[in-house]
Order: sequence, then structure tokens, then C-alpha cells
Amino acid sequence: MLAACGNSNDNKNAGATASGSTSSSATSSATATGAEKLKKISLFQSKVEIAEPLEKLAETYKKETGNEVEVWGSAGDAYMTQLQAKLTAGEGPTIFSVGTGAEAEKFKSYYADLSNEPFAKNIAPDMALKDGDKIVGVPYGVEGFGLVYNKSMIDPKDVKDVDSLTKALEKFKADGKNGLSLSQEAYFLIGHIINTPFALQADPTGFIDKLNKGEVKMADTKEFQEFAKVMEAIRANTVNPMEVKYDSQMGDFATGKTAMVHQGNWSYGMLKDYGDLGFDIGMMALPIAGNDKIAVGVASNWVVNNKANADEIKAASAFLNWMFTSEAGKNAIVNEFKFIPAMTNIEAGDLDPLSKTVFEATKAGNTIPWALNYFPQGIIVNDLAPAAQQFFLSQDMTGEQFLKNLDAAWAKGAK
Amino acid sequence: MILLTKSNKGWFALFTVPLLLVFTTVVIIPFIIGIGYSFVSWDGIPANPKVFVGLDNYIELLKDDRFLTSAWHTIEFTVLALVLVNVLGLAFSLLVTMKLRISNAARTMFFLPNLIGGLILGYIWQFIFTDVFKFLGDKTGWDSLFFNWLIHPQSALYAMVIVFTWQMAGYTMIIYIAGIQGIPDELGEAARVDGANLWQRLTKIVFPLLMPSFTICLFLTLSGAFKIFDVNLSLTKGGPNNATELFAMNIFNEIFGYGHYGLGQAKAIVFFILVAAVTLTQVIITKKKEVQY
Amino acid sequence: MNRTSRMSASTLLILLALAFLSPIYLMLVNSFKDRAELYKSALALPKSFSFQYYSKAMEKMSFATAFGNSLFITVVSVIFVVVLASMTAWMLVRTDNKLSQIIFLTFVSTMLIPFQTLMMPLMQVMDWIRGTLHIPMLNTRGGLIYMNVGFHASMAVFLYHGFIKSVPVALEEAATLDGCSKFGVFWRIVFPMLKTITITVAILDVIAMWNDYLLPSLTLSDKALRTIPLSTFYFFGEFTIQWNLAMAGLTLTIIPVVVFYMFAQKYIIKGIAAGAVK
Repeated sequence: MLAACGNSNDNKNAGATASGSTSSSATSSATATGAEKLKKISLFQSKVEIAEPLEKLAETYKKETGNEVEVWGSAGDAYMTQLQAKLTAGEGPTIFSVGTGAEAEKFKSYYADLSNEPFAKNIAPDMALKDGDKIVGVPYGVEGFGLVYNKSMIDPKDVKDVDSLTKALEKFKADGKNGLSLSQEAYFLIGHIINTPFALQADPTGFIDKLNKGEVKMADTKEFQEFAKVMEAIRANTVNPMEVKYDSQMGDFATGKTAMVHQGNWSYGMLKDYGDLGFDIGMMALPIAGNDKIAVGVASNWVVNNKANADEIKAASAFLNWMFTSEAGKNAIVNEFKFIPAMTNIEAGDLDPLSKTVFEATKAGNTIPWALNYFPQGIIVNDLAPAAQQFFLSQDMTGEQFLKNLDAAWAKGAK
Repeated sequence: MILLTKSNKGWFALFTVPLLLVFTTVVIIPFIIGIGYSFVSWDGIPANPKVFVGLDNYIELLKDDRFLTSAWHTIEFTVLALVLVNVLGLAFSLLVTMKLRISNAARTMFFLPNLIGGLILGYIWQFIFTDVFKFLGDKTGWDSLFFNWLIHPQSALYAMVIVFTWQMAGYTMIIYIAGIQGIPDELGEAARVDGANLWQRLTKIVFPLLMPSFTICLFLTLSGAFKIFDVNLSLTKGGPNNATELFAMNIFNEIFGYGHYGLGQAKAIVFFILVAAVTLTQVIITKKKEVQY
Repeated sequence: MNRTSRMSASTLLILLALAFLSPIYLMLVNSFKDRAELYKSALALPKSFSFQYYSKAMEKMSFATAFGNSLFITVVSVIFVVVLASMTAWMLVRTDNKLSQIIFLTFVSTMLIPFQTLMMPLMQVMDWIRGTLHIPMLNTRGGLIYMNVGFHASMAVFLYHGFIKSVPVALEEAATLDGCSKFGVFWRIVFPMLKTITITVAILDVIAMWNDYLLPSLTLSDKALRTIPLSTFYFFGEFTIQWNLAMAGLTLTIIPVVVFYMFAQKYIIKGIAAGAVK
């Protein structure tokens, strides 16, 4: 009756392990005849979209090496609470994912040092999660956001700055179309779009620091003032984002009702069901303060739980290494998870148009960073979003007033 | 009555200890530990340090505007929900215990909403209040009624009351039904023979004998409304602008959003004490009115 | 009740019930549409009633396993709750002293505690039990059952407490005089008279436990142990929901409960057929 589990050592179907594409295990004690038998480990991560391919990958891993990885599931929102609960219960997963920035800071004491792992040297420069000098996390991949646009409705050449953007929005409105769509979810309403003014600062993290201490204000900073003008233009000329959800935002875009959406390369997946759109899409930069780059960063990282016992850590490293070097692993990352790889040894393969744009921008170094990763914890959802909601729900709040509210909200959330 | 003689003490223990044991380990002990945590500053991650801060958290929460607003909104919500759920539940139960042919089907239909878990419920109703209402508003032109309820603070709160009522009316309905079933028909018959009309029969016979059900339903609605979370999360996410961030969500955000574990716990303790005072008073009063026959 | 008032009452009832159910119509209807169709119109009937999303959902959810887990956990938990809570409540009602009152009020007041505040300490307690007493409380179905009983105890005791008053004390006294032990009195006289409230408790608990996502998500990790609600997580992404699969999954989730309810409610009907005409 008590179906007790636990990380027991009895891999019942040990049997012969496949040769061929097995990688050697991470530490130096590899046996001569293929992969060694390692402890069963658990893996817990936050991205629901890859849950199934990940489970299949674990099965392939078992077939190839005989080692077991139990993939745990979680619905996106609940991931953090469940992770905390499991860590508290001593049930901690062996491998788990953390978002770059405040989230990663929180769980710092749990990260095993991965600096000496074989795959560590393949991580693209500056993409690894670091604690001081130690490499403690491997990026999922890179992601990028900006203005995803309908090529038949608008040309990037025509929107190079705030003024031309505003005029374009006004024209769309006059023609009965929606120029630019934001959506009511916190990140799509303000989280991503406010990244640009931050990222354009000379030293984004330094700026955030000063903002936390109250030494600077958004209301006094040029890039934010332009940002506020854009928000005013959006409010005046487009469908109110508070009436839009991600589903309808992408639906309107797919059916040609909206010319641009402020979104990321992941949104391509939402267009699948609409079949052939009849137009091409691309991603361009948000044109404030002379910006012409899209924002690219790492959203999530794989980390290994250093509170697990040594055997489990060994097994975890082995799995990660296999994932980044074996054919099955690399194929899964690129073609099934649809990540844009952040490892130098993985080919980009067949990417969708948005991901391709991001990938090429990354390779060329033509990007602005994700300053939002360094915001204080919870501030986007708890403080900035309500301020933005207020802005979009009131007809007469000015851009300056909005910035002042944002400053106040930031002061509160940074405590 | 069973007096607590020596041998009866044994029986008392035998009958109550098993449940008390489980209950204590699962609810009481964690609660006490939680009280302990309200005196520390901690971010909730086991590997990170806990710093004892005494009453700081409690002082902090008295200054927290958002907490006080959320407490007020929760009270507003609860009062509305309490009335609506019980009036509807009672009405349904009376309708359904009349000998109508469709009573059985109706009873099932009224109860169906309760079978759907809170999260999904919220998503479905969110869709109704936004897209469906907009659609109906366009078609009928009644846009003083059919607008997007969720983007205006006051109507968003009413939307939550409606969803909560939708889910809970059937719940209280079946408890009232159980109570009504327990009233012997002879009493109603005797009263009718004596010339009492429907209203008199209701107020003089049914309601007093329904007191145990009232105790239960009032209390359940109170506690359910105060603790509401799933629907809050999926229907409004606390918006717009935190206008519908009710109490459990405020704590949740404090603990898991901001990572202020101790403060969140302190808030929970404070509210628990207040709510317990109110509802226990209610229970004691209505219990006294219950009739044993 | 005369004919016209019956007719109007019936009509009113039907209209109310149908209006009440419109959200469920939405749920069902959208389990047959893909994202593009849903975007076009969420209210309309689907173009085709293919069950592809249902079979897809069942496959992704490993429905058979999940169903077995849900069934086992719910049934065992409810049995324990009913047995233990009724016994406890009866003893509390019949023993009218300060201790009983305090215990009862403790049960009742804990119903006001939001689960979020108990979550983390609960995990610690369970971890401690596992470490010190070597009883596996986490990632096992038995552990979840134990916790279910703990969390649903209050409500069940509360409900039983109110209804025990409808059992005449005279009957119990007679049975005691006849030589019945307390056990006998309870199981032979009292419990059978509590049928209605037992079914009510069972229904409420079955629904709560069957639909419960939060507690199982914290205590069960392995895929093989997942209950039905846990298995639907695949459809709820961070920013968007796969509506067709999610709605299909939800329909699959509630069908067993509906069946149970329809079956159980027959026992709550007393005298509707045989009763006096009102």
C-alpha cells in the first residue's frame, strides 16, 4: 500500500547498456566497458512546454546508459512554491532550474560547483550562471524579445524613433487597425518593455542598484522619459492592453489585425494552429533613445543540488554532460525543446524565423541585455504591473505621472 | 450524557485519540511552528539563515497599507458572499425538496459547479467576464451591464462574489437539504392542519429546526470566503491594481513573491486571530440555539 | 401545492439550473476546438465533435494510472475521515464538559487557517517524521492519505457534531441498559442514524480530495504516483493554457465525481417519493 519511493539504488533493468553514443561519465572513474551504473536522480524544472520531450529524453537516456532520471512535473506558476516545499521537506530534486537574477540569488546556497565539468567549457561566453568565479549553472538557451512585426503591414525602416513610431500608430488607428499590442499579463504589459530603458543605461546593474537606494529616479532619466512617451502613444492609439490576453494578442496578430506585438521568440509557438499566415514575420528593436537592438538574455539555468549526496551529484553531472554532447540530447534541445542553444558545441539547426533573428543577433553581439533579470524579486508582478494597470485604465494620467508612480512602486518593492 | 467516570475516560480516549493524533501532527504542530516563524526574518529557503527579530514583523504589518486594504476588501467580499451564498443555497434547497418531477435533476445541476476545482473555475469565469461579456455588450447594447467586469476595481470584487457564490451555493444547498430531511414530516403536517401558511411554517418550524445547518453553513461560508485563494488567483490575480488582492493572496505574495516569510506568517497569525474571534462567536451563538429533541 | 404554482416553480427551477450551468457548457464546447477556432468564437458549437483532444489528454495524463491513484487515495482517506470523525464527534457531543468544548472549538477554529501558512512547517514535520521515526510520509500515497485525514478532520467533526443532536438519546440509553458497550451503541444505533450526514461528508470530501492540486503537488513527486489533477499540469504553461486539452482533461476529471454524486445522492433522498404532498 505504501508505494515508497526515494532515490533507491536498485535499477532493476541494469542489463547491457548500449554502446555507441554514450558519453563517458563526468568524473574520472569511468569503467572501461561503457557507462557505469549511477544512482537514480530526480529532475525538476519550470518550463511546462518542454515537460514531455524531457520525459522522452530521460527514457532515451535510460535506454542508452541504463541510468535513471525521474522527471517531476509542475505547472509554471506553482514551480517556485513547489521547489521551496520540496527543498524544505528534504526531498530536493537533484537537478533543478532557476531563473537568472533574483531567483538564482535566492537558491545560491544549493548550487554545486560545475566549473570542472566537461560541458562547462562549452558554455557560450558570459552565459553561464556564476557565483563569484565558480560556474554553478548551465543556461537553458538564449531568448530574445522586441517588437515582433507583420512584414506586410510595417517596415522597420519606418519606425526608427519615438516620433515615427507614434505616427505609425496613429496611422494604423485611423485605418482601423491595431498598431501595437501589449497584453495584460505582467511581463507582457510592462516587464519586458521596460527592460529597454534599463538596458540602455551605461551600467544597467549599477543603475538598478542606485534606483534601489533611491539615488536616481526613472522620472529624471532620459531613456525612461522616451519610454513614457511610447506608452502614452500606445494608450492613445491601440487596443487597451487590459482587454487583451496572450491568446487574443497572438490571435489578432496571426489574423492580420495587429501590426506589431511586443513579444519574444517563444510566441512563435502560439501561431502554429493558425496554419499559413499569408505574411512573413520578423522581430525588430524598440526604437527609443536610438536603440536598434533586440534584448537577448538567458531566462533559466540548470543547476545541481549540492545537498544531494555525492553519488547523486555524480549521476547528475553525467546526465547533463550526456544531454549536451550526445546526438539524442543535442537534438532534443534544439528540435524539441526549441531552445536557441547557448553552448558552443551545439548547432542551431532549423529555427523558426523569430528564433533565427535572435540567434543571429546573439552571434553578432548585436543585442542589449536582460536587465530585468536583476530587478528585485517579485517587483514586476507585485509593484510595476499594478502601476501599469492603473496607467492603462486611466485616460488622463500623463507619462510623467506614470514615471513617478513607477518610482514609488519601485521604492516599495525594493525594500 | 456520558459522565467522565474512570471507565468512561478510557472510552473517551479510544474514540477521540486516533483522530486527534493525526490532526495534531498535520495541523496543530505545523501551526505552532508557523507562529514561531512569525518572529524571524527569513526568505523561506531552508539553506538560508533565519534571523530572530522579535515583534518586528508584527509592527511592520500594521504599517503595511496594502495589507490593511486587502483585509478590508476581504471583509467586504466575505459579507457579500455570506449573504448571497446562504440565501441562494437555502432557496435552492427549499425548491429542490418540493415534490417536483425535476427536483432530482435540478439538485444535480445546482451542485455541479462545486465539482469543478477552484483554479479552472476562475479561468472559465475570467473568460466569461472578459470575452463573453464584451460580445454580449456589443450585441445587445446593454453596456452598463455587459462590460469587462475585471478591469474595474469595484466590479472585479463583485465578479469574485459571483464566482464564489456559483461554486458554493450548491455546497450549502446539500447541507440544508440534509437538515430539511431531518425534519419529520409530521411536524409540517400538524402545522398545516392547524392552519399555518407556508411562510409561518417556514419561519416557525423549518428555520428553528434548521439551526444546526445554519451553524454549519454560515461558518463554512465565512471560513471559505476568508480563505479564498484559487479563484482569486485565476480570476483576477489580485488585480486590477491589487484591488482584489484578498487576504490569502496577500500572504502568499508576501511569502513566495517577495520572499518575506516571517512577515507573511505574522500577517497570517493576526488575521487568523481576528477571524477566529468573529466566527467562533457566531458558532457559539448559533449552537446555543440548536434544538436537541 | 396546486398545479399552476407547480408549473411555475418547475419552470423557474429549470431556467435557473440552465443559467447556472452555462459555464460548464463553455468548458465542454471548447474541449473540441483548436486554438484558432477558439479564437474565432468561444461560444459557438465546435465544427466537429472529434474526441481527439480527449484521447490526447488521456494519453498525456497517463489517465489509467492517475485514475487508479486518485481513486485509491480518495476512497481510503474518506473512509478514515468518516469513521474517525463520527466517533470523535459523538464522544464530544455526549461528554458535555470543558475539555470537549475546547477540543471542538479547536477543530472548528483551525478551519480558518489558510493552507499557505501551514505548507512549509508541514513539510518540515513530515521530513522529521521520516528522518526520526523512519515512516515514509512524503512521496508515498500513505503519507498523503494521512495528511488528507488531518486536513479534513475539522470539517467532518464540525458537520457530525451538528447532526448528532438529531439522534435521540433515549435510544442510546436503552441500548446501554441492554448491555451494549459504547462501541456497540455507536456502531449499532448511532452511526446508522447518521446516514444522511455521512453521505454528505463523503460527497464533500470526495470532491475536495479528488480535485485537490496543492497538497498532492507538494507531497507526491514521482510520475507513477500522480493523481489526476497533477497529471493535467502539462496543459498549463507559464503564460498560456492549451485550452482544448485542459478542458478535455477537466471533463475527464469531473466525470467520475459526477457519477459518484449521482449515485450517492439517492441516499440523501428521504421521503421525496413517499412523503406528504406539500
